[in-house]
This record gives sequence, C-alpha cells and structure tokens, in this order.
Amino acid sequence: MNPVKRKYIIAQLIVLSVILISCEKIINPELQSAVPVLVIEAWINNKPEKQIVQLTMTQPYFDESLPTGVSGAAVNITDDLNNVYSFVDDGTNTGTYQWLPSNGQGFGGVGRKYNLSVQTGGETFVASCEMKRTTSVDSITFTIKPDFQFPDGSYVAEFWGQDPVGQGDSYWIKAYKNGVLLGKPSEITLAYDAGFSAGGNFDGATFIPPIRQAINPVEKDPKDDRKNLPPYVKGDSIAVEIYSISNAAFDHMQQVEIQTQRNGGFGALFARPIDNVSSNIFNSNPKGSKVVGFFNVSAVMGRGRKFQ
Amino acid sequence: MTRFLPLLCILTLTQPFAFGQAKHTLSGYIKDGSNGEALIGATLFLKEANAGVMANAYGFYSITVPSASYTLIYSFVGYEKIEKQISLDADQRIDVELKTEPKLLTEVVVSAKEDPLGKVQSTEMGTHELDIRTIKKIPAFLGEVDVIKALQSLPGISTVGEGASGYNSRGGSVGQNLILLDEAPVYNSSHMLGFFSVFNPDAVIDTKLYKGAIPAQYGGRLSSILDVRMKEGNNKKFEATGGIGTIFSRLALESPILKGKGSFIVAARRSYIDVLARPFVKVLKDGGALNFYDLTAKANYKFSERDRIYLSGYFGRDNFLFSKDQGFSWGNQTATVRWNHLFNRKLFSNITGVYSEYSYKLQFGDDDLNKFRWNSAITNYILKPSMTYFINSNNELSFGGEAIYYFFVPAETYGVTNGVGRPLNVPKKYNLETSLYANNIQKLSPAISIEYGLRFSQFNSFGPDTVYQYRDTVPGIRKPIKSFEVYKSGQSFAQYNNWQPRFSAKVQINEVSSIKTSYNCMVQYLHLISNTTASNPLDVWNPSSKNILPEIGDQFAVGYFRTIGKNHEWEASVESYLRTTQNQIDYIPGADLLINKHLEGDLLSGKGRAYGVELYLHKKSGRLNGWVSYTLAKTELQVNGINNGDWYPTRYDQRHNLKVVAFYEINRRWSASANFAFMSGTPATFPTSGYYENGIYIPYNANNSRGNARIPAYNRLDISFRLEGKREKKGHVRKNHDYWVFSLYNVYGRENPFSIYFTQDDKRVPQGQIIQRQAKQVAIIGSIVPSFSYNFNF
Repeated sequence: MNPVKRKYIIAQLIVLSVILISCEKIINPELQSAVPVLVIEAWINNKPEKQIVQLTMTQPYFDESLPTGVSGAAVNITDDLNNVYSFVDDGTNTGTYQWLPSNGQGFGGVGRKYNLSVQTGGETFVASCEMKRTTSVDSITFTIKPDFQFPDGSYVAEFWGQDPVGQGDSYWIKAYKNGVLLGKPSEITLAYDAGFSAGGNFDGATFIPPIRQAINPVEKDPKDDRKNLPPYVKGDSIAVEIYSISNAAFDHMQQVEIQTQRNGGFGALFARPIDNVSSNIFNSNPKGSKVVGFFNVSAVMGRGRKFQ
Repeated sequence: MTRFLPLLCILTLTQPFAFGQAKHTLSGYIKDGSNGEALIGATLFLKEANAGVMANAYGFYSITVPSASYTLIYSFVGYEKIEKQISLDADQRIDVELKTEPKLLTEVVVSAKEDPLGKVQSTEMGTHELDIRTIKKIPAFLGEVDVIKALQSLPGISTVGEGASGYNSRGGSVGQNLILLDEAPVYNSSHMLGFFSVFNPDAVIDTKLYKGAIPAQYGGRLSSILDVRMKEGNNKKFEATGGIGTIFSRLALESPILKGKGSFIVAARRSYIDVLARPFVKVLKDGGALNFYDLTAKANYKFSERDRIYLSGYFGRDNFLFSKDQGFSWGNQTATVRWNHLFNRKLFSNITGVYSEYSYKLQFGDDDLNKFRWNSAITNYILKPSMTYFINSNNELSFGGEAIYYFFVPAETYGVTNGVGRPLNVPKKYNLETSLYANNIQKLSPAISIEYGLRFSQFNSFGPDTVYQYRDTVPGIRKPIKSFEVYKSGQSFAQYNNWQPRFSAKVQINEVSSIKTSYNCMVQYLHLISNTTASNPLDVWNPSSKNILPEIGDQFAVGYFRTIGKNHEWEASVESYLRTTQNQIDYIPGADLLINKHLEGDLLSGKGRAYGVELYLHKKSGRLNGWVSYTLAKTELQVNGINNGDWYPTRYDQRHNLKVVAFYEINRRWSASANFAFMSGTPATFPTSGYYENGIYIPYNANNSRGNARIPAYNRLDISFRLEGKREKKGHVRKNHDYWVFSLYNVYGRENPFSIYFTQDDKRVPQGQIIQRQAKQVAIIGSIVPSFSYNFNF
C-alpha cells in the first residue's frame, strides 16, 4: 500500500474505531510443514566496516529459535573489473561470512556492477547488482509540529536532503535514535527519487515531507496506553543514513513492507494478499532447490545530531 | 455469433397468429392509490384469456387480445386487488390505482393462477425483487436501513465480511456488479468505507437484482445488475418522511406539482456522529471533520397522456478531514433525465440521458511550501433509447441501444516539497461503449415460455494517450516496458466487439411448479483495480485497452420453482449455476495500483470458474413471514503467476451460506424481525515458514500457494422490534404516523472472524536476536451493537 494512503486510511480508521468496535485475539493455527529453504542475506554497503553475507535456512513460522546457519559455503562477490571479494566463514557456525576492509577503504564503488556467487551443497546461487549513487543528508532539524500521532507540543525531527537530477534513484533511509536503529517493519522508509514511488514525479527535489519526517519513532507511553511518547526529547541523539538501493531492491523492500506491516482492526479490511517476497537470487540450475533473500550493494551517506 | 440474429427473427415471426378475429389492445398505468407511485411489477390478469402482463418500471402495461368480454384482475403484493368486467371491442386505456391493504395481518395472497408473472410462471430466474417495505423491516447494523446489506440475505449473494463495500454475486467480484440508481451507474455504493450504503431508503421504492438470466437490456458487468428505482414523489398530497437514527438523520419531502400533473421528492441524510464525538476526539476539535451525507431528488411531469418527463439526481459525499485543509473525501454524483413516450397503445418508449461521476480527493501538507494534492475521477455520459413493443399476449419485444462515453482521471497530483511544485498526471483515458440489443419474451404454449435476446457491444479507446507495450516475462513479476506509441486526440487505438446472446426458458409442470433454464453471456470493459480484501474508496476503474482484454463471462443455470400451500403463500426454488469467465484480473505481488502510469505492467490475467446451488424458501404472508436462503458454492481463479499457476479460491469464496430472515407481527403496535447468518470461513493464506532479513522476520510460504487455509466460520443473529406510534389521540385518528425501531446487531456478541494475519511482535529487538511472532484473528464488529431510531411520516 502506498504509504500516503496507508497513513491516511489508518488515521480514519482510528477515528472510526471511536464509534465502532473491532477486536482481535491471538490464535495458534496449525501451519503446514515445509522443507527448509536456503536464505541468502547479502546487503552490502560501502561503509568502511565489516561486510556480511548471512546464509541460513528458513524455519517453521512459529519456531522461536535462531535460524540454522549454513557453514562451509564459498561466498564471493566479483565486480565488472574482475576484482574478487571473498567472504569468509567467521567460524561461529551461524552461517556468517565476512569481508573486512583494509586501510579504512569501504567496499567497492558507485557505478560498479557486482555478481554474487554462493556455492553450497553442490549448488551455485547467483545474483547481480549495481552500486548506485546516493545523496547526502544536508541537515537535521527539530520543530514543534502538529502531528496526530504525537502529543501536542512534541518536537518532530526532519532530515533535509536533495535527490540528484536524473530519474530512477532509489533509497532506503535508516534512522538511529540514541544509537539504536529504528528497524521495525513499520519503520522501513523507502524513497524513489524524492518521493514514494516512480509515479510521484519528484526527481531532483528535496525529499517530500512524509519521508523527511519518517525518522520519528512512534512509541506508546508506558504510563498511558492510549498515548504516544514524543519522538525526541532534549538530550536525544539522532543519526540518519541514506542507502542507495537498486530499483529491484526498492520493489523487494516494498514487498517486505506489505508482508510484514499487517494492520489489524479495521485495517484488515484493506489488507493486501499474502505473497512471498521476491528475490533477485537464482539457483544456476533452474530445477535445483529454492532460495530466498536478496543481494544489494549500497553507497551510504549520513549525518548525526544531538537534540539540545 | 451473428447466427443468433436469424434465429431471433424466426422466433418472433412464427408465433401463432389468430386470423379472422379482431384484436384489441388494453393498456394503461397501474399506480399506488395513496401517492400515485408507479407499481413496478404489478400485474393484470385476464381470466378468460388466461393471459397476463406485468407493469414496467414506469407502471405501464399493454396487452393485445381478441375482442371478447373479460374479467380483469389487477393485483400487487400488499395491495387490494381490483376486479373489473369489460367488454373489449376497441382499444382501451385503463389506468388503475390500487389501495394498500389496511392491515398486514389479513394480507391476501393472489393465487398463482391470477399471478401469471409470479416466480413460477415467468421466465425469470436468478432474479430477486426487494421492495423497500421489506428492506426496511430487516434488522440493520446500527439500525440504518441498507439496500446492499439486505441483498446479502438472498441466495447466491455474499460478502467478504462485515464492513466490506458492495457484494459478491454467484462467485463474482465486487467490481463485476452494475449498480444502477435510476439507470445511472453508481461506482462506489458505500458510505464510511463500506459500513453503510449510499441509497437513502426514504427515496427508494424498488430494487431488482439480476444475478443470472440477465435480459439483453442490461450489459457491462459480468456478475449482476442491481437496478435501484427511486420514488417519484407523492402526486396526491404533501408528505414528509424522516427519522433520527444512530448514524443518520433523515428527511424527505414529497409533493404534487400543478394539480397532480407531476410530483417531486427531495430526500437528504447526514451523519452526525462527528457532532456527538467532537468533544472527545482531538482531530475533530482541531477543525477536522468526519461526516457523510447524501441528497436524492426526483421530479416528474406529465406533458400529455403520452409523454412524461422524469428528472432525478443523487449527490453524496464522505469527508474525513484531519484539519481544515488536510484530509480525504469521496463521493458519487448522478443525474438522470428520462422521457417516456407512448407511440401507441402497444409501443412504449423511453429515452434516458445520464451523467454519473465518482471522484475522490486527498489533500495534506504542513503549509504551502510542503503539500500534496491528489484527485481521481471517473465520469460518464450515457444516452439510452429503449422501446417495448407489446406485440400480443404472447410476445413482448424490447429493443434499443446504449452509448456510454467514459472519461477517466486515474490520478492527478500536485506535490510541493520545500517550495518546489511538481504536477503529475497519469494520462486521462477516453472510451466509448456502444450497444444495441433486442429481447423478446414469448409464450409458445400455455406451458412453455421463452425469453431470448442478443446484445452487441463495441468498446473503443481513444487518444490522446501513450500506449505502452510490455515485454513478456516470468508471470508474477512486473512487466518491463518494451516500447510505446503516442496517439493523437480522437484516434482510436483499441477496439473490441462482442455479441452477447441471452436465453431462458420455462416449462410449466403443473399449476404450482415449473422448470427453468437459462444461459447468458456478459462482457465487461471496465475493471475495478483493487487488491485489498475489501474494496476501498481509493480504488480506481481502468478501461480495457491494448493490454487489458475485456472480461467475458458465460453463465448457465437450471432451476425448479414451485409454490406451496393452499393459498400459495410459500414460494420455493432451487437453482444451480455454472459460470466461467475469461480475462479476469489479478495482480503481481507488490503491485503499485495508484498513481502509476505503468499500471498495466503490474496486472495479470487469468480465468475463473464458479458454481453453486441455491435454495430459497419464501413465506410471503401471514403473521410470521420471511425467507430462508441457502447457497452451496465455490469460486476459483487460475492466473499464471499466482499459486504456481494452479486454481485458487477467490478471497470471498464461501462454501456454505445460510440466511434466515423472519418477520413476526406480535400485535397491532408491536412487530419483531430477526436475521440470522451462517457463512463458511473465507480463504486465507498462511505461511509455512519464515526467515530473517535485515532484522525483520519475513513470512514465507514454501509451496508458494494462495488460499491454503480457511478462517473459522461466521454466524450472527440480529433482532429488531418495531413499535408503531398510537393511531389515535383523544379519540381522533392521528394525521401523522410514527414508529420506533429498537435493534440489536450481533445479539450474542460473537467475535466473528474477518481475517487472520501473521505479524512479528512490535517490540524493538536488536538485530541478531529472536523476534517473537503471532497470528491474530480480527473481528470487525466484535460485540453486540444496540441502536434505536425514531421515524415519522405525515
């Protein structure tokens, strides 16, 4: 669902629920069992830090244990200049394969094309991706704004940045409050140029307000369940990073949003069908075993600020 | 398909002509004696000729029979019948006015023999007529009388769940129903997302639903036609009707114009919850609004004995504003002009002109430097000449045409970010749908009647438009653009022609029972683009184009109809249908349906099949009356790219659907109504597995299936009591009439499941740690909902 639409329909539904009564309860349905499938989580960025490719297996939906790692695989990323980046099993048996930068140099470069290859269990899984340009966070501001989600008089954070001219840039904006990533499904913030989708026609513009303000966590007041806390108070720190992602990764993350942000209550009326999230990783043998996950290489720029 | 044309001619011409005996035509209008309203579907029966005729939507009837003396019986359910002796030796016009029966308790049912066009005798099947008096008696959610919800008590009609907009007919989607209000298409039949329907019960007189055996007059949607007719207005005296309910306050005024030569009705409703909620809800205090209203009006005027003009209109809007200039609003507006002209006693004509629009608007933003405006609309202009030629007592031929000009504004947006404005238009679309039809109802023998017709329709897409061609890809993922072509204004770039034959037949077994069969082919050129569980007000309609083919549906049905009881007070039927459809639309996972120039690249196309058996038992009179309907059904789709290309159930597929509606008259002042519903659970998709990616737990279905589970069954009982106001005051009969309705929706407060969803816990969990997950079952209305309303009429 288009985020604009979602926000406004949800807001209406809040008003509506004042009058009507919807309710929900937790149930324990029996689920079909399934053969585990390989998961390749390869979200690489150019920050000068350890890069990880994680290989695990899917688990029964309600199985609340950490996923099983896949060890003993050969994981390599090759670029279009034939540079090979080898990812090495870190020996923790968690399926974690790492690459460490040397001399503080981040991974790869903007405009380079990359191919991922994962060899495990006699099969080869491949994916490709280009590192796209990103853009900078010019500033972060705090202003008192009326927002139905927050109590009156709350300071709302806003980051300012400009999408470079040229259609088709896509971004994943990540915010950290006091060093903690806002990483819940409802906090995924994606941008296509400076807007929400390709249809928005916001190429080369300042990010639109709902994106600029998407860095504010919505958290319930522990003292009063019906109210939310102000997103930021004096003394809090904030950091915003803009990750460039491929258009395929943008579509993939939109599907992640749809599949993980399920609205209860009246929102269930407008739920979208449950589908598997697409992947850009393929088994080189089309008749071989299945794979899920995603491969993307991002360029990152960011900025932090303390609210005083 | 042209082979049907000669067949049509032959059938019309080979009917037995009675040579040597003069024939005369008896025609006129059948109206309600108290207010002059046309009695749609009232009948005239000629005893000696054992023939009859039904009044059309304007109350007009015509029958041609040999000269002789006849006993005429005019009748209509709920009205006192009129018997007349005439000697027919010349053409005659007889207008009659039937009186409502004084007391419901003594309601007399006309015998099947005198009701020649009753369920058993007519060729109609898959059809239901609900008059507004019945609809008003059904217990309703929050006491608000609702035409659409009332339909859901009929066999073959279902809904995806409470609060969902529209209805599903015989396995068809919500967007496959043509809802007409005085012949104007209504594109969104709901107020408040889906909880209430847009039809004001004070302004509606009759609703007729065709879910099968659809006559050739109608076309444009695959599943059903809902024909809602508005009141004409009292042409005898001034009348005011109104009420105060839980949601709406209503007022309708009716009056004659120029000494009964015409009349009008103006009816308005407005919700007033916002007024009540204002002190408690912050957004409402801050200049926000939450309301919905509608205005329905109609006038008619008789210019001569042969000509009458009708004007009718509807305007409705829902407003959800979060502040003075932020929010969302939507609504329909329609206008209909009709001119009835009688060429002669046998040839009735009507020309209808319609304007209809559905639009929505969103607006939000902090200030002028940062704001977003978005609107969308579908507009159409319709011209529809139609003729009915009452050839003789054995043939009634209807023919005519329809031209619909569509104008679509899929999305028009204007965004300002940091002071820089960006307009965006998803290209407007222009289409023309033209149709011609002929339909004949023919009595072949006293036992056998047939109805056959043919509809030809043509659909054209015109420029200016940019038409994209998409590359074929793995089904289920977004189709990339291959090339595009630009078309100039008025240039046609896609054209579809379709012949749609319709046929039904009745064989009378005996006086009380008959067997019927029917076949109809329907074509739909407009597609409701919606992939949410229930359709929502932002859904857009998209015309067929180079990339989207028209939906085509074929339905075949057989049925057995009979009346039971000494006075034929019971009506029973069993109907079974089989429906196949082509070019059904579905969507790729993650489809972007709004503000998308390349929407067609996100659509999938497949086929559908639906079948079912419907049982219906209706007790029409007595202190205890009502009906029981039961449907056993299945509806599935097969679309490459979904469910591994295998058949899967539609989201609204329900195996069993049982409805019981009962009315009981306790005494002169008190009456009670009850409504019980049982429905099998609709399909749901459950994950088998899950995995972590970027610290998010993503559900995964290893079989890639759709609809692999069912939500639990649904059952609900509603009751209502009606208390009539005192008829007398201080020994005098009161001029005004009033009544109270007390109702309880969901009497035993069952938390009926609407859907089940899977989600991760909302707690913030550092990456690399276990995320809790849950399955939740949602009930839209999870408790008993009491309400009352006060209604008056004077």
